[in-house]
Amino acid sequence: MSPGRLPELRDAFDRSFSEPVRRRNADFVELLAVRAGGRPYALRLAQASGLHPDRAVTPLPGPQPALLGIAGFGGAIVPVYDLAALLGHPVPERPRWLVPCAGAPPLALAFHELDGHLRVPADAVVDEPGGNPGEKVLRGMVPLPGGTRPIVDLPAARALVHQLTGRLQYAHEEQ
Amino acid sequence: MSSDPLRYFRVEARELVDQISAGVLDLEQRHGTDLVARLLRFAHTLKGAARVVRQQEIADRAHAFEEVLVPHRGDEGALPADEMRELLRLNDEIERYVAALEPRPDQAAAPADRQPPETVPHPEQLPAARAATADVDDLLDAVGETHARFAPLRAGRTSLEQLRRSAESLADQLRSGRPGSADTARTAAVRLAGDISTLARRLTDTVEQVERELDEVRGRAERLRLVPASSIFTVLHRAVRDAADAQGRRVRFDGRGGDLRLDPQVLASATNAMLHIVRNAVAHGIESEPDRATAGKTPEGSVVVTVERRGSYAAFLCSDDGRGFDLAAVRRAARDQGLLGPGDAEPDTQSLLDLVLAGGISTSPTVTEVAGRGIGLNVARDVADQLGGEVSVRTEPGRGTTIELVLPLALLSLHGLVVEAAGSVATVPLDAVLTCVRLPPEQAAAAALTGRLAHDGEALPFLPLARALYAGTTVPEGGGSAVAVVVRDGDRAVAVGVDRLAGTSTLVVRPLPELALAAPVIGGVSMDLDGNPQLVLDAPGLIAEAAVLGGGGAAPPEPARRLPILVIDDSLTTRMLERSILESAGYEVDLAASGEEGLEKARSRRYGLYLTDIDMPGIDGFTFVEQTRAEAELAEVPAILVSSRASAEDRARGAAAGASAYVVKGQFNQEELLAHIRRLVNA
Repeated sequence: MSPGRLPELRDAFDRSFSEPVRRRNADFVELLAVRAGGRPYALRLAQASGLHPDRAVTPLPGPQPALLGIAGFGGAIVPVYDLAALLGHPVPERPRWLVPCAGAPPLALAFHELDGHLRVPADAVVDEPGGNPGEKVLRGMVPLPGGTRPIVDLPAARALVHQLTGRLQYAHEEQ
Repeated sequence: MSSDPLRYFRVEARELVDQISAGVLDLEQRHGTDLVARLLRFAHTLKGAARVVRQQEIADRAHAFEEVLVPHRGDEGALPADEMRELLRLNDEIERYVAALEPRPDQAAAPADRQPPETVPHPEQLPAARAATADVDDLLDAVGETHARFAPLRAGRTSLEQLRRSAESLADQLRSGRPGSADTARTAAVRLAGDISTLARRLTDTVEQVERELDEVRGRAERLRLVPASSIFTVLHRAVRDAADAQGRRVRFDGRGGDLRLDPQVLASATNAMLHIVRNAVAHGIESEPDRATAGKTPEGSVVVTVERRGSYAAFLCSDDGRGFDLAAVRRAARDQGLLGPGDAEPDTQSLLDLVLAGGISTSPTVTEVAGRGIGLNVARDVADQLGGEVSVRTEPGRGTTIELVLPLALLSLHGLVVEAAGSVATVPLDAVLTCVRLPPEQAAAAALTGRLAHDGEALPFLPLARALYAGTTVPEGGGSAVAVVVRDGDRAVAVGVDRLAGTSTLVVRPLPELALAAPVIGGVSMDLDGNPQLVLDAPGLIAEAAVLGGGGAAPPEPARRLPILVIDDSLTTRMLERSILESAGYEVDLAASGEEGLEKARSRRYGLYLTDIDMPGIDGFTFVEQTRAEAELAEVPAILVSSRASAEDRARGAAAGASAYVVKGQFNQEELLAHIRRLVNA
């Protein structure tokens, strides 16, 4: 071993005691704490492809009450669905936050308030891989300051929208 | 790359070859010295250009082309068939040489083949999205126009500099504190404020104009992405000509609807299918000359290709005046091929045609080179299946056949009429708009109530657009229909009630996204300048919606007759601008040019609202509001102050005087103003 490497290694050894234990990213889940129609929920950030406040949404007359309209994202036209309406408790206020969902075809969900962005240990999340009976969009829950929040599963929400629009050939992808 | 000697030649040669190809085909159908002269000119230009860039093969063929044509310079008659064939052969060779000059991905430079390169497909080569010179010129004009609109902004810089100097000299006067300087300073300050508001107004106008021009530029640039349908006619014409030649027929080709602009991809797919369809029309449809004579038809057969827009679909039609489908032969072929069992019921015409469309049956008694083995319609069906379109066949024995290929359009350029209803903006395709009629409030109320509008001696169904756009939800309060846009589709029409017209624009329409189900009134979406989607209405959908909503009964009552609005402003431009905004929104408007005149008018008539400027000689806006608040008769009438003063102090002063709203001219926003007015007038 060269004499120059030794102090380097010693430093690294010392440093490893002075820093808090880092956990690997895989051990954490990034969540958005949101409110839709006045109720608290959490979203997995990994399932979203962005977060936009106050985006202009052009209302579209049609048979789907949950469809708020269409919005432009980088030249693409994206349908925007009201999360509260998809969860079965629509309110008259138009939501101001948009989350484009990962995957195709383009789809964005809208919710009313953003409470914050959180990073929680993965084992804090209570998983329910199959979801609840009768509950199409919620999968699991997470205890957060202020109470436990149900987790909105974006692929499941997408599946619901596909079903509502008659696109049944959707193959469910797990995140 | 910089030393590519063929860069410009390629472009020029391509254009000349296009013109020569179309010209030769024209010459066959329509003889004339002017056409010969034009072809000679093209060939000569090409020859000269080819020599400059040492493309001897092209130059030689262009020369040979000229040699054929020169003796016919003075002729009105047709060229002998062998000479026509020679012209076409030379044309093809030139085309292949020119095509071979295109740089290919795998080789940087073009090869200098000694033989015409046979590998270049012909004539299946599809039209590329190449912008027509006229379109580029239009775009450049629009860019130039936009540029010119910036002149006032440049001049504004000078004005600003003058204002800065005035402000500095005012500051000097204030600092000096000489006796009497306060009065001078006050005068200077008033003048300065006046100059600033003039400049602000000018800047506002300029910015609005520049925005409009940029919108135009964008529209024209988007159009460049699309190709006129006529660009496929030459290829189809040539296919018809070659098929006719092979069959020993005389066939006239006609292309219609060439101005329609389409997505090059849709056009390329359609061309592929139409090539087979037109060849089939000649091979299976057009009879020999003796047969045509017996049937009492002209010796020359006819194949017409028509391109038309149907909502968000493009229809490609190929009609021939030939013998029609030989339905007996189809029946026989179907039985021979076991497609019809002996016990099956006798199929009707449509089921037989469906069998042909389904593939495998050709009605030509011999398998010919051009018609292939009955693949003609299958290709069309495949293209339609791939793109989500449809193929249909109409045939009349002895009279002819029409094959129709309908493809959905991914992109479509159209001119639209922009309309507003209850705060929503939408576009009606201009080609569907028959006329626009101003609707006085009583007539609008009656139309909304009965669902009918008398127009041109006809009772048209009346559809308030707001009801169609807010179907199933509450329609926001709005000005109500002030204009009826009469929209037609074929022989049906509907009067669509809108709040106001907001001009026309060139736009590119896209289909709705997959997960957005929309009412049939929506035909597609376009993007506005801010990248937000804007709805494009569908004429057949509007007509259908009017039928569904039906007349009267359900119509919400129109707001009670509204009181007029009094506009007070010393600037003629502002008065006129505000009047036009308010009238378009359906309000009756009176004007006053000063505070004094305003007070006089306010006392002589009942108004729903006062809209007043602040800075006016004599009684200013604040005083006007204070005085009207002080009079019992007028105190209830809401007042809005409109001014170029934007300070918090002025706003506070306005509120203290009793104004219900304060709108800053610099940030003048029609919608905001109208929203205030709606709120106050309806309150």
